[in-house]
Amino acid sequence: MPSYLRIEALRMLRNKRYIIFVVAFPVVFYLLFSNVWGSQTNASGVKATVFLMVSMGAYGALAASIMSTAVPWAQERESGWLRQLQITPLSNRSIILTKLVAALLLVLPALLLVFLCGIVTQGVSLSPGQWFSLALSMWIGTVPFAALGLAVGSLVPPDTAQPIAMIGMFGLAILGGLWFPLDSMPETMRSIAHVLPSYSYVDIGWNLVAGTTPPPQDVVTILAWAVALGTAAVLAYRRATARA
Amino acid sequence: MNAIAFTDVSKSYGNVLAVDGLNLTVEAGRTVALLGPNGAGKSTSINMLLGLIRPSGGRIEVFGRLPEEAVARGEIGAMLQSGALIPELTVKELVDFVRRLYPEPLDLDEILKMADLTDLVKRRADKLSGGQSQRVRFALAIAGAPRLLVLDEPTAAMDVESRQRFWTGMRDYAAGGRTVLFATHYLEEADENSDRVIVVARGRIVADGTAAQIKAGVGGHTVRFTLDGQPAAGLDALPGVSAVEVSAGTATLRTADLDATVAALYRGTSLEIRDLRIAGADLEDAFLALTRES
Repeated sequence: MPSYLRIEALRMLRNKRYIIFVVAFPVVFYLLFSNVWGSQTNASGVKATVFLMVSMGAYGALAASIMSTAVPWAQERESGWLRQLQITPLSNRSIILTKLVAALLLVLPALLLVFLCGIVTQGVSLSPGQWFSLALSMWIGTVPFAALGLAVGSLVPPDTAQPIAMIGMFGLAILGGLWFPLDSMPETMRSIAHVLPSYSYVDIGWNLVAGTTPPPQDVVTILAWAVALGTAAVLAYRRATARA
Repeated sequence: MNAIAFTDVSKSYGNVLAVDGLNLTVEAGRTVALLGPNGAGKSTSINMLLGLIRPSGGRIEVFGRLPEEAVARGEIGAMLQSGALIPELTVKELVDFVRRLYPEPLDLDEILKMADLTDLVKRRADKLSGGQSQRVRFALAIAGAPRLLVLDEPTAAMDVESRQRFWTGMRDYAAGGRTVLFATHYLEEADENSDRVIVVARGRIVADGTAAQIKAGVGGHTVRFTLDGQPAAGLDALPGVSAVEVSAGTATLRTADLDATVAALYRGTSLEIRDLRIAGADLEDAFLALTRES
């Protein structure tokens, strides 16, 4: 399994689309937004450079977890690579677990690069405890998104997975308030946002950098999504690997 | 010990019977060709042998175990008909990854040499030609040193030269006392590379033996001679003759008893026999005769 994890990580790091959308995008937009709104502070007194670091880190992590799962996985199923793996001693369970762990590992470059950029270029300063809880929650919090990507990859062929992944990724990012403040959205959209895993995910991060305890509702929402999407991913995977 | 045992195995899709009561055993250490036209049930049988699909009836054992168990123990390696590689990885990365999944794999250099990939180790999979990809897939199949190697129409995308090198690699692998089963619809491949040919048609075994036995089983020989304008009547009544064909002044007799036919041709007819030629039936004739709708 370690060698499987290694090649899964290796291949995504060589994938141009991953590098552009996942690693470059969040950093570039973070720098851009920080230059425009960097001097402002929000209602909880958090500087925009810090707030935006969480938003763009969240976007990068969300993008990484969906991009490294949905389309590659759908392709592997259709191209016969999955069958190639199924006739090796690797068990079906190891295959899906490795996919999940690899997706989580691939979140780290996106997330940590934005944090690093915040420290180096915008002088963001947080306590070690804050950095730790922020990085950990924003890392583990991507489980529902990786599960969503794996479910999509198990259910549909690659050319359908591609648009679904894109819509899912930008839909969750925009409706979750990662790109634009939720206050600027109409009432209906705001109530949709509050039940989405992407909103609770980023809201936990915003609370941590503001020095406030994340609301339990956020934690419950993201856990519920993790369970629901995780179950969906497992069922979809069983269906995809069932012996006819 | 039997490497492979099929007992009354059948597989149906809806009301289409792809495999129809297959009984078959292959001793360990043999190289066996599964020969048949498209749609004969070769791939279905192979996928069942690999545990990828379940039979509708009957039982399959690989080294005395269920196929899934044999796969989990690393006893089977296979090259399926289709199977893409991961485009971003190099040949070496792919082969090394797969070999590490097995408990007692072959040496990396040995695999690369057998699959003729030594010059391509650093090439990325998306830069390989069709034939090169096939060689990588062969390397993946043998990487774990499986006791049973299964190849489903392995040379489909290869040119003549690659084919020859491929079969050399296969024979090198089989030489270690390993069992090989390969499916093909190329008759010469079955003839040249196996020590047993199993002919399947419409989901059933229609012949099983060495290539020579199968040829012999189907009307042994053909006798040809120049007939010119002489009457062909009575030729089909000669001893041993099963079929007569006359075209462009040449008569072709198919016979199961060569000596009797030739003797009768000279002694029993008043024909003037010229340009007499005798040929053993080739595997192509045998194959066509066996797989023809009966």
